[in-house]
Amino acid sequence: MQNLTIAVAKGRLQTEALDLLARAGLSVSSAMLSSRRLAVEDESGRYRLIFVKPGDVPIYVEHGIADCGVVGRDVLLESEADILQPLSLGIGRCRMVVAAPSETPLSGYRALRVATKYPRVTARHFGSRGLSVEIIQLSGSVEVAPQLGLADCIVDLVETGTTLRENGLRIVEVIAESTARLVINRASYQLKAEAVGHLIDSLSEIVDQGEQT
Amino acid sequence: MSEPLSKIPNGTRYYFGREARLRRSVEQIVMSVFDGWSYEEITTPTVDYYSLFEHGMGRSQAHRAFRFTDTDGRLLALRPDVTSGVARAAVTIFADRDRPLRLCYAAPVFRQQPQSHVEWRRESTQTGCELIGANTSVADMEVLAIASEILQKLGLGHTYQITLNDVGIFKGIAAHQALDEVSRDELRQLVDSRNAVDVERFLADQEFAPEERHALAQLTQLSGKRETLEGARRVMLNAGSKEALDRLDRLWSMIVSLDLEDRFEIDLGDVARLDYYTGLTFNIYVNGAAARVGNGGRYDGLTAAFGKAEPAVGFVLDLDALTAVLLALEVDTRLPKESERQMSLVTNSDPTLLFCEARKKRAEGERVLITL
Repeated sequence: MQNLTIAVAKGRLQTEALDLLARAGLSVSSAMLSSRRLAVEDESGRYRLIFVKPGDVPIYVEHGIADCGVVGRDVLLESEADILQPLSLGIGRCRMVVAAPSETPLSGYRALRVATKYPRVTARHFGSRGLSVEIIQLSGSVEVAPQLGLADCIVDLVETGTTLRENGLRIVEVIAESTARLVINRASYQLKAEAVGHLIDSLSEIVDQGEQT
Repeated sequence: MSEPLSKIPNGTRYYFGREARLRRSVEQIVMSVFDGWSYEEITTPTVDYYSLFEHGMGRSQAHRAFRFTDTDGRLLALRPDVTSGVARAAVTIFADRDRPLRLCYAAPVFRQQPQSHVEWRRESTQTGCELIGANTSVADMEVLAIASEILQKLGLGHTYQITLNDVGIFKGIAAHQALDEVSRDELRQLVDSRNAVDVERFLADQEFAPEERHALAQLTQLSGKRETLEGARRVMLNAGSKEALDRLDRLWSMIVSLDLEDRFEIDLGDVARLDYYTGLTFNIYVNGAAARVGNGGRYDGLTAAFGKAEPAVGFVLDLDALTAVLLALEVDTRLPKESERQMSLVTNSDPTLLFCEARKKRAEGERVLITL
């Protein structure tokens, strides 16, 4: 079977993703993982893992540098990468939401200012409503923008909702549910069909077991 | 602030040296295979009416073109594809020719918006062929056999993979379920990205009948050989899908009889452009390229926009992508660097003698370099 390179999103998903991959038969020694190397091989030599920023996973996969990747659906929605996403891995569950401080319905604004790390998702979401929206792209701590007067509302990812509450925001709309996805390069899907098929099968078996328990 | 003149626009590039020669020879190999199957070369205008491409490619694709206005105010475009111009020629210039019509081309195409993140170039060279006026599996097989020969001749015989589908399969399911256009496109996108999870969710929302759910789940499965067709046949019971499966089955039998089944796969999830294609669709992949290097299919509706509906099948190869793959494979082998190529120096202070000698060597087929 052909060798596969898998890009894993660093951060929020990394530990769970590695655990899942380990159960699917990718054994990476803990010494390797605790090192700061960003590209490691598994013990069988059949898989190479690369650790990159979540937003870069679709880029590596679309360019075929990685055959596969593990990344949140939120990132995929924003990247608009032309890649395959055959499997939901059931980890990293969260929601992409619109959150605002007051009870005022969003349609009450003449021009809405939205702070977000996800400008494309935001533009798509509001685009069809005839609302004039000013998108303010931030790189973090988006929740604080409304109370400081930078924006009327935010589009962001929410896991538990605690950060939102502590910053006086409530969820107005849910744009999408997000879980981690297995993504695959279109050419690898055809040219490395056997190896890719094997990985999809092993992972989907584990995901199914997870859902039953 | 003025831009430095040394700047080159995004998505454009130079070709020179070994790469330029390789690219030229790839083009010659491809065109000689087309010629070998009796395809006549055609060159379409580089600048043409935007409306041609809007009809020929569909609005969403034509939108990518560089557009500008003619002196009379009509909208022009730099050719974003060649097929549109060929289709118009078929029903005008070639209206009285016997059918089928076999045409081929190699030409640069221009797109202001690149196709995807990977396809960054805004000028690229397309080479392809069109077989117009025949609507049989044999015609479909003809263009597949040509594609196959080209890849073989380029030395990629063991690394290419052609995936086949027939859009009639998906269209059959959508029609049976009476999906409106918006839902059909949503479902198409989900199937095309093999997004089985969201396909499930979509089907639950749309209250699909169980047998149709099975049929659609099948589309997102891994590609395969004849067993993929057999699996699909068991769950796809609507007339449109069945007819399309029969067409693919006939084609597959021919592929098997030509001993080509190692190089072909059936991939029912490839539903990238439903409105353009009417039957067979295929994508060409080769090792070393992150995206497809070619694609094609049957577009029986293509020439209708220009006044007369005729069946047509064809494909296009991305010459620049193929060159990049071959260049990576041949880095240290066949093609010498520009500086390493053989040449014969010609020196003489008398210009007459200089050129006499140079022309003599040229007549003998030598590569000369005049010392100036």
